[in-house]
Amino acid sequence: MSSAKHKGKGPQSLTANTLRDGLSVWLTPEFDWSMKYSDALITEDDETIGKMERIGEESEHANDVVAPYFIDVEAESGLPVRYREKFRVRGPSYDTATLVPLDIQKV
Amino acid sequence: MYRYDEFDAEMVSSRVAQFKAQVERRLSGALSEAEFRPLRLMNGLYLQLHAYMLRVAVPYGTLNSTQMRKLADLADKYDRGYGHITTRQNVQFNWPELTDVPDMLKELASVEMHAIQTSGNCIRNVTSDPYAGAIADEIEDPRPTCEILRQWSTLHPEFAFLPRKFKIAVIASKKDRALIRAHDIGLEIIENDAGEIGYRVYVGGGLGRTPVIGQVLRDFLPRVELLPYLEATLRIYNRYGRRDNKFKARIKILVQETGIEDFRTQVEAEYAELVPLDIAVSPEEVARITQYFSPPDYKDLKDIEVKTDDPAYSRWLKHNVLENKTPGYSIVNISLKPKERAPGDVTSEQMRIAADLADEFSFSEIRTTHQQNLVLPYVETQELENVYKKLVAAKMAEGNIGLITDIICCPGMDFCSLATARSIPVSQAIAERFWDAERQAVIGEMQIKISGCINACGHHHVGHIGILGLEKAGVEFYQVKIGGDPSENTALGQITGPGFSQEELIDGIERMVDHYIEIRENEERFIDTVRRAGVETFKEVLYVDA
Repeated sequence: MSSAKHKGKGPQSLTANTLRDGLSVWLTPEFDWSMKYSDALITEDDETIGKMERIGEESEHANDVVAPYFIDVEAESGLPVRYREKFRVRGPSYDTATLVPLDIQKV
Repeated sequence: MYRYDEFDAEMVSSRVAQFKAQVERRLSGALSEAEFRPLRLMNGLYLQLHAYMLRVAVPYGTLNSTQMRKLADLADKYDRGYGHITTRQNVQFNWPELTDVPDMLKELASVEMHAIQTSGNCIRNVTSDPYAGAIADEIEDPRPTCEILRQWSTLHPEFAFLPRKFKIAVIASKKDRALIRAHDIGLEIIENDAGEIGYRVYVGGGLGRTPVIGQVLRDFLPRVELLPYLEATLRIYNRYGRRDNKFKARIKILVQETGIEDFRTQVEAEYAELVPLDIAVSPEEVARITQYFSPPDYKDLKDIEVKTDDPAYSRWLKHNVLENKTPGYSIVNISLKPKERAPGDVTSEQMRIAADLADEFSFSEIRTTHQQNLVLPYVETQELENVYKKLVAAKMAEGNIGLITDIICCPGMDFCSLATARSIPVSQAIAERFWDAERQAVIGEMQIKISGCINACGHHHVGHIGILGLEKAGVEFYQVKIGGDPSENTALGQITGPGFSQEELIDGIERMVDHYIEIRENEERFIDTVRRAGVETFKEVLYVDA
């Protein structure tokens, strides 16, 4: 379950996309945003989750991020529960950008 | 090619200025995301899984070399050095930043391009035959009709907020290279018994979660009646199309629920109200627009036979090259399906080389195809070897057009926020398994199409073998369809049964391909054998280990 408001079960993380470049970010224990999931704040504490929700709303109003939402996190692995969210963490498994520049010779 | 007039130029440049101001207001907070989202979508800007994505319109898949170079420049300057040819002949950039998009649109406008109506519930970019104007089997070049539709539909105020998006494709030959019967409206330019040119109008086709093959709405529509008749059709859709359920909002559902006879009656009644046909395009205007698509300045050449001992060049000639309708000229398909790449991806360097080749050999013109390849439509046959050598150097000389590795594939979970599974790695695994050139030639014509979700951007419903990526409990699996056909014999594939892991899938496809080679008769293609022998025999080998 992912939700703008916290409705999930178990450990939670707050994620969004940055407004300017659209990249995925996660809220950190310092209540800042990081592009690394390894920096993410993961908690089950209701009070902390409430604060995360407020920070998310403030960040959205400050035009730093777009549409923050909570994601469920697997207690054991620390990874998001949903497959889609795992993918946001990992990034594309393939990107042609990694093949640029090609070994192209001008004839 | 069509050139912008002052109205086009003014419209596009004012739109760029509008969007620049909208982005500034969004960044300042004057616009909320909820307010901004429809505005960015109207300008082709999506927020995808990992980043923004900008979809640039390529009207009916026709580009000139200057436009191609501009796309290359945008890829380098604002993206990550490549672009992606979509299954609707457009170009996508996967990594632009919001703050750069106004500049990207401004640069596009400088070469008569834009991203308008590449998203949203409006009439989208009109697609067409990538060989338009160059192939012998066409009645006429379909692009003047496409251009008339583009001008009519661009920023059409009545059709800016349809129940759902609306796609139109146009062909002018019996052979369908644009999948017209999988479009909301498909137009086939035909000649009637009296020798008049007009249109056979199909309606209600589409893929997505509810695949439907379009039905004939009008068997012959005189040319002059095109716009009023489409206006009437769109009005019926706009009035009665379902807005209560996004998944039932396409015209195909309306036509299904209404029935084609009643739908036709409604359209004809609406059409009768439009007399006099005040938006009909006069023959003079048709002639004016057609002039833009005059044949290039062909030399007076004779057809020649190209001979070679080079097996790779020979394969390329066989699979990638067709006769142009003008003696001594050929149509060259440039494959964007190398083994290691996502289908349809093209680097900025390759874009520039394609542009150079177009300048040197093809009257500066390039086409994009819904098969996610490029085309040089007007190449002197005697220059084919030169073109081939340059493509080899650019790593764009795969001789696999129409073969098993010429796979249509959506971006899937690797990029798309709607996807349920990855599609690119599946495509790469199939290409890896079947890469041997001789094996591909033995298999012959094969259309494998892969979608990473039920929205079917990868056209899996009409693949000879169609693959749909899904996910359950964190595991990707792939459903298989067999017997689809994207040609003029349009057919939807049949679902074979439970899905597979990627590894099982590739093995299963190989068993089906081997089975086809074993049982095929004479010159049968895979799809012919499926039709003759039935889907069941292929299901048996597909599920042999199950």
